[in-house]
Amino acid sequence: MTPRPLRLTVNGRAVELVDVPASERLLDTLRWRLRSKGTKEGCRTGGCGACTVLVDGRTCLSCLTLTHEVDGTEVTTIEVGPEDAVVTRVRTAFEEAGALQCGYCTPGFVMALAGLLRERGTSATREELLEGVGGNLCRCTGYVAIVRAIESLRSGGP
Amino acid sequence: MTAAIRPDAAIKLVGAAVFGTDLDVPGMLWAAFVPAPVAHGQIRSLDLRAARALPGVTVVGPEELAGLVGPGERDQERPLFAQGEILYRNQPLAVVAAPSALEARAAVAAVRVEVDPLPVVVDLETIFPEWPGSEADASPAVTAHVRARHGNVEAEVRRADRVVSEIYRTASVHQVALEPHACVAEIRGDTWYVRTTTQSPFGVREDASSLLGLPESSLVVEGTWVGGGFGGKGSSFLEPYALLLARATGRPVRFALGYREEFRLGRTTLPAVIRMETAVTGGRIRARRVRLLLDVGNSLPGRDFATGYSIGFLLGPYRTKTFEVEGYAVRTHKPPFGPHRAPFAPQCAFVVESHLDHVARELNLDPEEFRARHMWQEGDMTPLGQKVGPFGLATAFERARATARQWRAEAPAGHGVGVGCGFWSTSTGAGGEVRLRLGPRRLVVVEGEREIGSGSVLAGLTAVAVRVTGLPRDRVSIEYGNTSEAPFDSGVYGSRTLAVLGRAIEEAVVGLRRTLAERLGARGQAELSIERDEIYAEAGERRAALSVLLTPEEGAAGGIVSEGRHVAPPRSIDESRVVAGTFYPYTDFTGVAHVAQVAVDPATGAVRVERYAAYHDAGTVVDAGAAQAQVEGGVAMGLGTALTEEAIWSDDGRLVNDGLLDYRIPTLAEVPPITVEFIEGFAGAGPFGAKGLGEPPIIPVPATVAIAVRAACGAHLTELPLTAERVARALKLL
Repeated sequence: MTPRPLRLTVNGRAVELVDVPASERLLDTLRWRLRSKGTKEGCRTGGCGACTVLVDGRTCLSCLTLTHEVDGTEVTTIEVGPEDAVVTRVRTAFEEAGALQCGYCTPGFVMALAGLLRERGTSATREELLEGVGGNLCRCTGYVAIVRAIESLRSGGP
Repeated sequence: MTAAIRPDAAIKLVGAAVFGTDLDVPGMLWAAFVPAPVAHGQIRSLDLRAARALPGVTVVGPEELAGLVGPGERDQERPLFAQGEILYRNQPLAVVAAPSALEARAAVAAVRVEVDPLPVVVDLETIFPEWPGSEADASPAVTAHVRARHGNVEAEVRRADRVVSEIYRTASVHQVALEPHACVAEIRGDTWYVRTTTQSPFGVREDASSLLGLPESSLVVEGTWVGGGFGGKGSSFLEPYALLLARATGRPVRFALGYREEFRLGRTTLPAVIRMETAVTGGRIRARRVRLLLDVGNSLPGRDFATGYSIGFLLGPYRTKTFEVEGYAVRTHKPPFGPHRAPFAPQCAFVVESHLDHVARELNLDPEEFRARHMWQEGDMTPLGQKVGPFGLATAFERARATARQWRAEAPAGHGVGVGCGFWSTSTGAGGEVRLRLGPRRLVVVEGEREIGSGSVLAGLTAVAVRVTGLPRDRVSIEYGNTSEAPFDSGVYGSRTLAVLGRAIEEAVVGLRRTLAERLGARGQAELSIERDEIYAEAGERRAALSVLLTPEEGAAGGIVSEGRHVAPPRSIDESRVVAGTFYPYTDFTGVAHVAQVAVDPATGAVRVERYAAYHDAGTVVDAGAAQAQVEGGVAMGLGTALTEEAIWSDDGRLVNDGLLDYRIPTLAEVPPITVEFIEGFAGAGPFGAKGLGEPPIIPVPATVAIAVRAACGAHLTELPLTAERVARALKLL
């Protein structure tokens, strides 16, 4: 148990969390404490990337991150509003390329790419972007349409 | 056809789609299985007292069942809990519900089980060290036996120029939908209600009600968004247990599997051993003998259609007048066998294509020419005596061979190009129904399937309704209804959804047009159009706005209603060729030919697929975007079956690689560019002659890759998957 509440910002909203066990994962905090189910639970072992979020703008697997580690940070998830220009850009690229089917891996892919674009800006190469989602699994699309979406991000569109 | 933006893209891209794992009801409890600690054994004692003593914990075991379930007859053949004898590791012994996941785990840990272990059988070849003869029919391990023959096989074999025999082995593969199974059950008055991630809400209703002894009418199943199905979410699994716990506690109960449990308990395709024998005279196949041993795990005797269905895929799509096939479903101490996208057809195509390629090489014949010469054409008879309908395989194969010739000319030394074929049939299940509601401004298709990602519901059915009515896309919507609201459908499996519900829409639209014409006082069928934002109906000289044609009741209910239903016409095989068991006719004939270019690492045997092309006999493409996406995704999934995916079971029945770090599905880095081309005009079972597209794309992939590997390095592999280790052994590097 923590002596003082944890304070973080989730998608621009300040949240204060009390009595967070030391073992609680950020994924569970988001999904079951804050009841934000947009971030998906897959394997819980870092093997699928479905739970990817941004912590202070950097890509992070929320299933392998303890909530105590993110005290004082800014967490961005797939539920962030259209004011997040980078996430919006990735969403548009995915929509136009048809880069999703069942959609369960989609939040992880979108956030991983948003993190990379934020970090590297427009100088990110195609290879860097592809490697940036190398740890995200998709069983539906065969990644072909996801690569198309990534190429459109790279070429400045949409 | 132009690709439309997926109707479900927007909701999924902001994280607002509620999947089974996302269900969250105030006050709900969390469930967990008490798993069997061994794969085979006799339960000496099951002590649930310590678990029950924990605060907030409820345990339901075999003893409590009778007091909780419905008054009807329960399916005794499929007990919910191990009864005396444990038949596979992690088989449910009891279920617990607790206020949190942590407390549920603690309750499971508090259960004391004493078991007398019994011998564990996991390996087919330990049951039948030699190929089974007639004694296998009496073996308690055999749960199904099928046999068919035609002509004098022995005579053809005796006088053949050459008889080539081989044995193939295929692996257990998991669906690996990223979303695990998950549901939330509640008891609402007299209604047992469950929301679940499923490919078949009506299938879950039928299955769960028979397991619980309930009339179907007292169970309501509502589908959620589905995070991938691939066959693994086709029938009930967690739902009956969650319903029991909801009944026992009076609280909503969430039951979701962790990913390891998903691997351990999932209904996967299990291993098989197949012997192929082909007699050739004068460059022509004169006779074939096929024997199949299929591991069905803990599947029930007589409930398994896998053997008879699979074995057809070991004969086709090649002409064989004289043949003998025999298949055995063999019970082992693994969980029950389950369907995986095109159940067992990719494995069968791997065996057939690799074997015929090998036979041709043994006879110094051109392997592709040899296959082309024997390939089914429309009007041929299948070995089991069914006439082949419109079939685009030969066309697809020619297109694939042309690409292969070009790639061979370009490929550097050490790289190999292969062409593989496969076939499939659009399944129809028990048929399906839709209800249309045409209002002054919209057409709503009410149906009972959730979109599982393939696009068959939201993209496919929308496209069918648009094409049949002539209304613009933005005037058509799909409305999902649970099992008490929507008309019946069998499920999103077997590449059937678009075909069956699409035909049901066609029928419902005919009814709608006729009713509108009658109301206009005209004969025949009314046409629909849009004017000043309103839908108009026109027949003969008469024309009116929908708002005028609706009765007041219809106006209040949102529109005029018309129902449509489709059940496939019966088809048959020549039963005189069947000696034992059941074989199945095809609804239609879908042909697929693929091309792969691979490089094989000469030091390690690792296979890298460099480029890929897929030629698909699709009948008619209904939605171009969804169709292409199905092929791309199916090919990638097939690359996993071909190269890396293999569930490994230890001798004591433990799944060794029960996580995504050990059971390796393709990542972005392993999927090459994929070119997709559709061949249209060979009509299938669906609307406008469309053929199902969900499953065919995975079928030829392992075959295509294997033939390309042989072309690249000479290694002839007879076991899936084609891991670096197996290739290295074949090349004598190990």
